[in-house]
Amino acid sequence: MNTVSQSTARYVADYDSIASQLPGSGLSWLQAMRTRALSQFSASGFPSPREEEWKYTNVAPIERKMFLPRRAIPGSVDIGLLGRYRLPDAFTLVFVDGGFDAGLSNFSGLPDGVVIAPLSEALGRFPELVRSRLGGCIESEPHGFISFNTAMFSDGVLVVLPARTVLERPIQLLHVATQPESLCTVRHLIVAENSAKGEIVESFVGQEDLSYLTASVCEVDIGENAAVTLHKFQAETAKAFHFGGIYVKQAQHGRFEHHNCSFGGLLVRSEIHVGLDQASECLLNGLFLGSGRQHVDNHTRVDHFKPYGISREVYKGILDERARGVFQGRMIVHQDAQKTDSNMTNRNLLLSVDAEIDTKPQLEIYADDVKCGHGVTVGQLEEELVFYLRSRGIDEPSARNMLTFAFANEMVEKIEYESLRSLVLEELISRLPQASAIKEWL
Amino acid sequence: MSANAQTLEQLIGHEYKQGFVTDVETDFFPPGLNEGTIRALSAIKKEPEFMLEWRLAAYRHWLTMKSPEWAHVSFPPIDYQAISYYSAPKTQADGPKSLDELDPELLETYKKLGIPLAEQERLAGVAVDAVFDSVSVATTFKEKLAEAGVIFCSFSDAVQEHPDLVRQYLGTVVPYTDNFFAVLNSAVFSDGSFVFIPKGVRCPMELSTYFRINAANTGQFERTLIIAEDDAHVSYLEGCTAPMRDENQLHAAVVELIALDRAEIKYSTVQNWYPGDKEGKGGIYNFVTKRGACRGVRSKISWTQVETGSAITWKYPGCILQGDHSVGEFYSVAVTNNYQQADTGTKMIHIGKNTSSTIISKGISAGHAQNSYRGLVKILKGAENARNYTQCDSLLIGDRCGAHTFPYVVVKQPTARVEHEASTSKISEDQLFFCQQRGLSMEDAVSMIVNGFCKEVFKELPMEFAVEAQALLGISLEGSVG
Amino acid sequence: MLRIENLHVSVEGKPILKGIDLNVKAGEVHAIMGPNGSGKSTLAHVLAGRPGYEVTAGRVWYQGKDLLAMAPEERAREGLFLAFQYPVEIPGVSNIYLLKAALNAIRKHHGLNELDAMDFLATVKDKTRLLDMDEQFLYRAVNEGFSGGEKKRNEILQMAVLEPKLAILDETDSGLDIDALKIVAQGINALRSEKRAFILVTHYQRLLNYIKPDRVHVLAHGSIAKSGDAGLALELEKQGYGWVEQLADAGA
Repeated sequence: MNTVSQSTARYVADYDSIASQLPGSGLSWLQAMRTRALSQFSASGFPSPREEEWKYTNVAPIERKMFLPRRAIPGSVDIGLLGRYRLPDAFTLVFVDGGFDAGLSNFSGLPDGVVIAPLSEALGRFPELVRSRLGGCIESEPHGFISFNTAMFSDGVLVVLPARTVLERPIQLLHVATQPESLCTVRHLIVAENSAKGEIVESFVGQEDLSYLTASVCEVDIGENAAVTLHKFQAETAKAFHFGGIYVKQAQHGRFEHHNCSFGGLLVRSEIHVGLDQASECLLNGLFLGSGRQHVDNHTRVDHFKPYGISREVYKGILDERARGVFQGRMIVHQDAQKTDSNMTNRNLLLSVDAEIDTKPQLEIYADDVKCGHGVTVGQLEEELVFYLRSRGIDEPSARNMLTFAFANEMVEKIEYESLRSLVLEELISRLPQASAIKEWL
Repeated sequence: MSANAQTLEQLIGHEYKQGFVTDVETDFFPPGLNEGTIRALSAIKKEPEFMLEWRLAAYRHWLTMKSPEWAHVSFPPIDYQAISYYSAPKTQADGPKSLDELDPELLETYKKLGIPLAEQERLAGVAVDAVFDSVSVATTFKEKLAEAGVIFCSFSDAVQEHPDLVRQYLGTVVPYTDNFFAVLNSAVFSDGSFVFIPKGVRCPMELSTYFRINAANTGQFERTLIIAEDDAHVSYLEGCTAPMRDENQLHAAVVELIALDRAEIKYSTVQNWYPGDKEGKGGIYNFVTKRGACRGVRSKISWTQVETGSAITWKYPGCILQGDHSVGEFYSVAVTNNYQQADTGTKMIHIGKNTSSTIISKGISAGHAQNSYRGLVKILKGAENARNYTQCDSLLIGDRCGAHTFPYVVVKQPTARVEHEASTSKISEDQLFFCQQRGLSMEDAVSMIVNGFCKEVFKELPMEFAVEAQALLGISLEGSVG
Repeated sequence: MLRIENLHVSVEGKPILKGIDLNVKAGEVHAIMGPNGSGKSTLAHVLAGRPGYEVTAGRVWYQGKDLLAMAPEERAREGLFLAFQYPVEIPGVSNIYLLKAALNAIRKHHGLNELDAMDFLATVKDKTRLLDMDEQFLYRAVNEGFSGGEKKRNEILQMAVLEPKLAILDETDSGLDIDALKIVAQGINALRSEKRAFILVTHYQRLLNYIKPDRVHVLAHGSIAKSGDAGLALELEKQGYGWVEQLADAGA
């Protein structure tokens, strides 16, 4: 794989001209980190389907384009769009084309000790903290998108929840793309110290039908007995490219919950990697919809490193028209991780003859005293259920739509944060066939 | 068929009892592989031109390929120039193969292995092709089968006597460009079995091949081709053993099955190649390509395998379900102990309408072994109403082994229904305690539970094999508990 | 209301019903009894239009229309209701959604306006009380995690809300304890009227202690071996099914 694409070479070549504008350019450790990442990216380029972890996703369309780092003059923000996706009861940080926008953000009234700061600012205020944490949650060999992000990140957020703090209001990181061929390379760092608790929502949206690339990385460091709920709400434009990686490190008795709702984007890859320590618990829920020519890849990896860990994972996909969905789930139980209890389920519905699903749930187990399982189903709706509804007077197409909706709604109902749940529900309904009929039932 | 604890008790504590060496004079090629080797091999076999051409095409393709690295197994690079590609007992090198003329040493060998070749000593109803290193040394019941129109002979004989059939079907399921080991096999395969069941014939007895590696530093490359014409029916069994040696030996076989309209082929394997010693020294590298094509409507191919031997097993018996309403099945028990590694599973490719497949895989891992299930279920666009059900369960015995599941599911047809379930667990303490409380020893209890765990697969095996398979499990797990 | 003439039904090529004749008038309650495998449930399912059942001969007239030509939902909208023996679970669809969707589909079919949300809720809540069900049931997914008894009660609740003309209850009594049985019977009795007919499919006589049938039919080997009044059920209880099977064999 020595054939690095033209765009890779150009990103590398242009790097010097933008390096000075990137946050933390005066910090030598960060410079060194970025340079190292750039040379890794220069050697590897973006990942190729020849790599097992990218078997079903070819990112060549991303390589064929050249996305531009943040421009001096920001695009004009569609306030209506922002309003629609803004969660009314959250602390909100808005990132426009990968840059923090103070004017649109609102996170005043933070409890004492809690830090929420754009990374560009945090590098000045807490350089040592960022230095000691940045990159710390990424265990595996970073692939092209991760090193690309490390080299290029234009901003992001630092969240620190001090020990024993419970943050009552959720934090929303709202990303909006406003310019064609733009690049959203944000890097988020979330630290929940021992026994702290908080909830964060990453939202990704774009204006009109812009084509752009999101390449975001979010690191979550969960201390002993701490609990973090992280949502991802992805409703990028129909022409957008999206890579979003979430890398989580859990300490003993930590708890991590993730809800991934993937609706938009032309070519989407979501990664969620979680490492569990003793008796920590992780819950991964995912819902992905695809239509048109969307390609949606969900890649999850759960590493049980220590005993008594619990993990539960449920991903559901609905693919219509010519969409292609991918689910790759890896569950690894390491030798020390006795008494691990882990389960993974992936269920998929294909609504059209041209839709496709590729699913690969893997169990790799090196400890003997474990309880692990996984299940996959692909198929149509249960005919039994269709008949039941028809026997109650509901016509067949409506019965099928109702069941398709129900299939997805089961995932939505797992979201406890109410204003997010209703936003997700609205987005879901608007993207299903016969949206108006479903609204009526509700 | 439930496990008989007493039988198992007798068996536990036995070493690999097929590990002896037969002392016969052999003709063999010096180690090394080049076009000359292949020409020489083809010449010894007096093969027609088309066979030589085919072998050479495969060899030339092989030279462009790399050994695959994706499987969850590890082994040092194999030096293909250090292997001898032909070894045959001297008396067999050319000659007819009537049992009377067979070297008594060989007869004795098969007798010791529990496979007496003299027909009167055989259980009626099973015909055997005995392959010793690179050649088939005897095929029993040939005449009786011929009466029914069934052709059952060594591959070498088939090339001589039925060249048209060989030419028509060879390489049509596993082409000579398929994968690294299959391609190597295509170039250098030395013998194997050939079965042809004509239209409407139900093969009157079970057919079986017994493979034996004897010589040191040789590789065994055999090829089996089974064709069942319309409405034909056959059940075929395969068994294998090898002496205990400190060096690893390569076994790279290819099996091709072809089922035409409404034909049914049942292929059962009990694989007991030498697995290496307790420290992981020696043993067979069993890198095998097995594939069946359900070409006809309502045809059915069923693979059943019990894999207990070999240092490394790398095989994925699959079915290409082309005919509408065709059925593919895969039942597998793979046991790994000590330092054995197994990466095995199946491929079910659904092409025709209303095709269905069932996969039941049971992996048992003990000691330092690594046991992986790797399976592909692919439903292509035209495969309306295709169905697949997969269940793979793993059982772990001891805390230094690994059990892994790598299923790949690709679906391009909305009316398809695919279900996959997998679980991994260890033998429950409660079960063990219950058995012990009822007076069973720990090892008996384990054997009993393991046999119960594998029951769904064992019931698919022909009777005699089921007994052998259960017995093998007892041996394979020796010393893994307590 | 319902007239079945010489109905023959096969499942996967195997004949199950071998010539059923039955006439049910408005206001009547018919009980269909019979041993396991006699074809009772098949009859219930065929009338509701479940796919997979092949009618090989015979006709079924429902309110003067050819029932067998109608889609399952059309039958439902025309007032035919089947209470399932094994009600399915539908995760993600709450009871209240289902009831509303079904009721409005039926009303629309009859040219009626959709009920407004308040009226609808009031009606449904009334019925829940009647069946001694917690209102919370309404907001749970259809039958998901319900006990056997709760599922059966939920079927009767749906019947109460949809107010069918012909209700077919397939082994609604099976798996119910005596208290639940009484509640279910009470729910059914509350719905009895001159305009409504019931077909109770049951294995045991016990349900008939609470709901008195007008006619009792005993099914054996796919045909009606004997018909009579409520007394037949009691006699059956005494004699056992062996008795009717003998009758059926003698007749065959």
